Amino acid sequence: MRPGFFLREAWRSIRANAAISVAATVTVMIAVFILGAVIPSFLYVQSTVDKQKDRLDISVYISDSATNAQVQGLSDRLEQMKGEGLVKSYSYVSKDDALKELKGRLNNPDIIELLPSNPLPASFKVLPTDPERNPDIAARLQDSPALDRTLENGISYAKETSDRLLKILKVIQIAGVVLIGVLLVASVLLIGNTIRLSIFARRREVEVMRLVGATNWFIRWPFVIEGIICGVIGAAAAILLIWGAKIAVVDDFVRSNTDGSLTRDEATTIGFVWLGLILIVAGGLVGALGSGITLRRFLKV
Amino acid sequence: MSTDSAADQQAAPATGRAARRSRDAERRIDRRSLLRPGDGPMIVFEGVVKRYGKDAVGLDGVSLSIDAGEFVFLVGASGSGKSTFIRLLNREMEPTEGRVIVGGRDLGRMRRSKVPYLRRGIGCVFQDFKLLPGRSVYDNIGYALEVTGDNPRSIRRKVPEILSLVGLSDKGERLPNELSGGEQQRVSIARAFVNHPRLLIADEPTGNLDPDTSIGIMQLLYRINRTGTTVIMATHDRDLVDKMQMRVIALERGKVVRDERQARYATVEP
Ligand SMILES: Nc1ncnc2c1ncn2[C@@H]1O[C@H](COP(=O)(O)OP(=O)(O)OP(=O)(O)O)[C@@H](O)[C@H]1O
Ligand SMILES: [Mg+2]
Repeated sequence: MRPGFFLREAWRSIRANAAISVAATVTVMIAVFILGAVIPSFLYVQSTVDKQKDRLDISVYISDSATNAQVQGLSDRLEQMKGEGLVKSYSYVSKDDALKELKGRLNNPDIIELLPSNPLPASFKVLPTDPERNPDIAARLQDSPALDRTLENGISYAKETSDRLLKILKVIQIAGVVLIGVLLVASVLLIGNTIRLSIFARRREVEVMRLVGATNWFIRWPFVIEGIICGVIGAAAAILLIWGAKIAVVDDFVRSNTDGSLTRDEATTIGFVWLGLILIVAGGLVGALGSGITLRRFLKV
Repeated sequence: MSTDSAADQQAAPATGRAARRSRDAERRIDRRSLLRPGDGPMIVFEGVVKRYGKDAVGLDGVSLSIDAGEFVFLVGASGSGKSTFIRLLNREMEPTEGRVIVGGRDLGRMRRSKVPYLRRGIGCVFQDFKLLPGRSVYDNIGYALEVTGDNPRSIRRKVPEILSLVGLSDKGERLPNELSGGEQQRVSIARAFVNHPRLLIADEPTGNLDPDTSIGIMQLLYRINRTGTTVIMATHDRDLVDKMQMRVIALERGKVVRDERQARYATVEP
């Protein structure tokens, strides 16, 4: 088609309805700004929870009296579950390793020396692919003769913690999606309203265009582009604001967080460039969608 | 017809810039060919009735035919149905009863999506000009070309040409509200004719103009008619009609009361 012509037409329309266009642009800016704040926070929380999830491992305690063959059998089953994708990884922790680890955690390691022998069992540390399936993994190890049944029937995993964490994660996910959805729908409606006013302000002009033989889409394109321009400019303004906020607030906050509690879990979030790209595209889509919907309703042949 | 053979040549799938240009040209031919009267008349009205609501009648049983290349005056008192007649031609509205056939096309059966192409083939000078308010004279005329998908280079060539034809070469950058009524009228004529339509309809193009300007516009329409364009002009201007001695269709309360060739505004009563 004729992008240059339609772009000029769209720009003419924006200038003609400057006040309305600015209003729409500002609303998109606000929505995209919130979106731009929500996305990285949401991803940060998600990543934190994901990292927590990695801690939801299973301990499989091995009896001191287990034979090498029995231990090998246990290890074979784990290997098989790894092949099936149920288990992400597993490692063997010997009695000595267990004791060393315990020593490391005690305030007064010397009391260990008082023990006549090492009371800790050897174990497998099993990292599940999906902690929700921990019970399945446990069930498939339950009947192994190698288990040390004096300790939690031989298999322990943090059932409570994992359930709670997973629930929190789901709630956060749903809340994030709902919030973002509401914001996007609101922006679409606001852009739609702007385009409706723009069509209304130019209805006589549109009539004339029809009379000189303009097709429906020839008349529509400038309005669609008008919506996209409002969306993209609004998004660009929001990105500037977010950038300012990042420099002024977030970076400062991270720097002052000397104990590393924010970055402790190596939780990550989205990079600024990617965020910007996503927001610009979102702004453009919101604009196109808003004007598209309105045009279908108010600019029929 | 030449347009058909042109369409046949399109068989081979074409690529690239040159091909795109030729395809555009193809499409233009296609659009113009919407008005294809062949050897038949340019316009046929068959028992056309147009009612507005319950009791207002615009046209009341009009049947007539106008050949390609004719120059026709549509006369009658205010409210006699001239504008109604004209608005039926470009399907600004549809008749309550009867058929309107333009360029061999039954407008009642024409798909909505084809109407823009119909309108490109008909130049229309509206009673109230219908210029686009926020645009310069140049852009107003350019718009009628943009609609057809004409390229910018050709638009830059055609607009000044037509502006000089209507004597507005020096006013291209003016906005419509910076022009006198007669000047706006001429812009409207320029826009109607810039696509060189086969049919030009003008609703009182000399209304509110001084006699000299009226004659100027009349001459312009006459010149356009001489290029083969069918011209239909609604008017109250008795002197003008009398001077031109063209076909006159007289309307009265929506009915054709007189249809004469080489006629005067009113029947001569000796
Ligand atoms: N949109 C409309 N709604 C109702 N009645 C209408 C409408 N348009 C025209 N009419 C009526 O139809 C009749 C014919 O109107 P039309 O505009 O065709 O007259 P005209 O001959 O063009 O008059 P003029 O010389 O004043 O322009 C008039 O009685 C008018 O009141
Ligand atoms: Mg009229």
